[in-house]
Amino acid sequence: MRDYSIEPSVVEGKPTFRQIDELIGAPLEKMPDKKFYIAISITGTMFLTGIICWGLSFYYGTGLWGNNNPVGWGFPIVNFVFWVGIGHAGTLISAILFLFRQRWRNGIARFAEGMTIFAVMTAGIFPLFHTGRPWLAHYLFPLPNDHSLWVNFTSPLLWDVFAVSTYFTVSFIFWYVGLIPDFANLRDRTKNKVKKVIYSITSLGWRASNRHWQHYELVYLILAGFATPLVLSVHTIVSFDFAVSIIPGWHTTIFPPYFVAGAVFSGFAMVQNVLIFVRKVFNYEKIITVDILEKMNKIIILTGSMVGYAYAMEFFIAWYSGNQAESFVFINRAFGDYAWAYWIMVSCNVIFPQLFWIKRIRRNIPIMFIIGVLVNVGMWFERFVITVTSLSRDFLPSSWAYYKPTLIDGGILIGSFGMFFTLLLLFTKSLPVVSIAEIKSVIDGAQPTHHHKEANNGK
Amino acid sequence: MEQNNYNYVKAELPKSVGKTGVAFLLVGIVAAILAFVLEPARASFSSLLLFVYLMGLGMCSLFLVALEYLTDAVWSVAFRRISEFMTPLIFIAPLFAIPVLFNMHDVFHWSHGEAVQTDKILQWKSPYLNMSFFLIRFIAIVGIMTLFFYLIIRNSGKQDKNPDQKYTRINVKLAAILIPFFGISITLISIDWLMSLEPHWFSTIFGIYYFAGSLLSAFAVLTLFSVKLKEWKILPDFLGRDHFYNLGAFMFAFVNFWAYIAFSQLLLIWYANIPEETFWFIAKFNGSWKYFSIGLILVQFIIPYAALVSQPSKSNYKRLKIMSVWIIFAHLYDLYWLVMTTFDKNGIVFGWIEIGFIILGIGVVLLLFRFVYAKRNLIPVGDPKLNRCINFHI
Repeated sequence: MRDYSIEPSVVEGKPTFRQIDELIGAPLEKMPDKKFYIAISITGTMFLTGIICWGLSFYYGTGLWGNNNPVGWGFPIVNFVFWVGIGHAGTLISAILFLFRQRWRNGIARFAEGMTIFAVMTAGIFPLFHTGRPWLAHYLFPLPNDHSLWVNFTSPLLWDVFAVSTYFTVSFIFWYVGLIPDFANLRDRTKNKVKKVIYSITSLGWRASNRHWQHYELVYLILAGFATPLVLSVHTIVSFDFAVSIIPGWHTTIFPPYFVAGAVFSGFAMVQNVLIFVRKVFNYEKIITVDILEKMNKIIILTGSMVGYAYAMEFFIAWYSGNQAESFVFINRAFGDYAWAYWIMVSCNVIFPQLFWIKRIRRNIPIMFIIGVLVNVGMWFERFVITVTSLSRDFLPSSWAYYKPTLIDGGILIGSFGMFFTLLLLFTKSLPVVSIAEIKSVIDGAQPTHHHKEANNGK
Repeated sequence: MEQNNYNYVKAELPKSVGKTGVAFLLVGIVAAILAFVLEPARASFSSLLLFVYLMGLGMCSLFLVALEYLTDAVWSVAFRRISEFMTPLIFIAPLFAIPVLFNMHDVFHWSHGEAVQTDKILQWKSPYLNMSFFLIRFIAIVGIMTLFFYLIIRNSGKQDKNPDQKYTRINVKLAAILIPFFGISITLISIDWLMSLEPHWFSTIFGIYYFAGSLLSAFAVLTLFSVKLKEWKILPDFLGRDHFYNLGAFMFAFVNFWAYIAFSQLLLIWYANIPEETFWFIAKFNGSWKYFSIGLILVQFIIPYAALVSQPSKSNYKRLKIMSVWIIFAHLYDLYWLVMTTFDKNGIVFGWIEIGFIILGIGVVLLLFRFVYAKRNLIPVGDPKLNRCINFHI
């Protein structure tokens, strides 16, 4: 039973610094094994499927997709919102939990932040292709051009361009800054000359001096402070894409916090799923402990319930407002053509995560994995339900239509997963997936603070 | 780890707290009674304002206590009692709702039978907005929240005499169960008592808006009492800048959270420009209300943001004291903006009646603090996390 009078350990079994170096450095020093090749050939194939479908869309145009009139926003927007959402957990873990001084986040922050970067990269492709003329993508930026053609500054779609690109930049810098001490560590350990040169460049001359650490910690704190409002702004603005319009089911004021909660929800489920494999494959069970997974599951149930609250509010206010179009859309969601999607969404997002109220389930790895998968399915369907049901039943019944994705749409969706997981796999073999420096600071007995005399005397 | 080595000695609260409390309460009661005799409608609105303020403060203080248990927070252990002292407001605040119940017709348009008869939308809403269901919700919320108050606070108190970890364990579970009930309750309070003042208007974010402001005020009240107790040298010495920094940081965070929610609501309604929604904001730009509405941005966002943004300001006692008072009144400003725009649609009304009710509210809070303080320990001496709190450093 938990003893509240002592601080729970983050890392199990008091490993030495050397053991940590070796454990985390190991995957970078060995050639990839068979498991890696099997994994990357699967994700690579998925990625290639996507590339083919993207290529076809590029050549023939967006007519290959299921988008029709009135459902002009089909899979591309659904996938975009889904992938941007996945990215949110990474920043929440690495920046927001850092500001909250949650020491347990040290073991998973690097990996989660990496997932953020890859998820945002994946997400970015969808609006690019959805413009229909991806070769004119620079028109999205307010660049001076021949035709004096300006962007529409009042459109949230444009705010998205700014928000997502700023978010990506800050996340990337944040990630890189965190990597610097680790690059230096790898530089000092490696015997390979090529690697040594690369690590020497990327570690920016890090000598682990006191002054380096002071600057590092200050920059890290400031970047965490920057990343926090940015991550909230990104999904807020994504929600504005929908909510500023007058489409029933889209225009509702709860959208911004609801989208942010949903993004964190799905992102945590994805991080939890991937970490389950990572800790097993690389023997990180003592660093990424079941306690950490349990804490993540608690955040999943919290954010899942927030999403449930938002569903309930939307439904209630749709009725309460007395607005016919609103009430119709919500009843149509639950009992109309897309009822199947709606009930997948409700059961996966609101009902199944409630199992995490039970401690044994929160700590059971196979069950939490399944719930995590279900959450991601549910959150994907949430975006599908929001986007498609509202559009397919527009104000004008004569233009109602059923949206059906095509094979190409499916291929692009598979491709996005392929791209994301391929990048993740490459990441696991090229960079330390757990922050060596940060994990050392949370080992029992290692207290890098001047307040603890014992720790200082020990050095 | 060694046993709790902190020796708690109960200090006397300065007499001025009780005296001021009594004076404010008496003045407030006289003013309130006079107001109800002279201008019952206006007094009802003020009483409603006081109710939503104190109810939100009480509920969010309980929420803060629950949050500490749930998140295993350490820094706040020695502050927790101050929030606990505020939780009885959960059943004290409803006293101010009772006069409103007797003046329903003056306050809630939907309570007029004839008005509902001729209004299609109000007819549609009548299964929800009707007197009996309204009362049922009110009683149920007060009842459920009082139950949680009783269970959680009682366990916390018992631990003082018997430092057994089982109380912490039970409270962690209770806190988890509280959260969904709390979420629904605070939303329904906001819909029933604030949103339905303008029964045609609707906004899905409204519950969160009220929650954000109330939680901010709960943090501000906690901070103000903490700083004052520190000034009076009642708070133990181990509570230093590192502890207070958290209070400042949370006030800053929730100033931003409130602004985020308020901005989301305004932007989405302004952008979509649907008359069913915009009329609510337009009414808040009538006459002198216009300046009041713009002032809200300054009062509850820009000034506290600027005052608390820098790192040193978050642990500067003087700054914290000023800003917590400021935020306490900023939240009042916010609620006044929500409530009184319904009372007089043409311009700001502010006179002795409103001031009287504010004085009454301050008196209630001070006396509540004074009496609970006399009965209970300021520091949860039996809490297993207290030693970690004593050793807490950023």
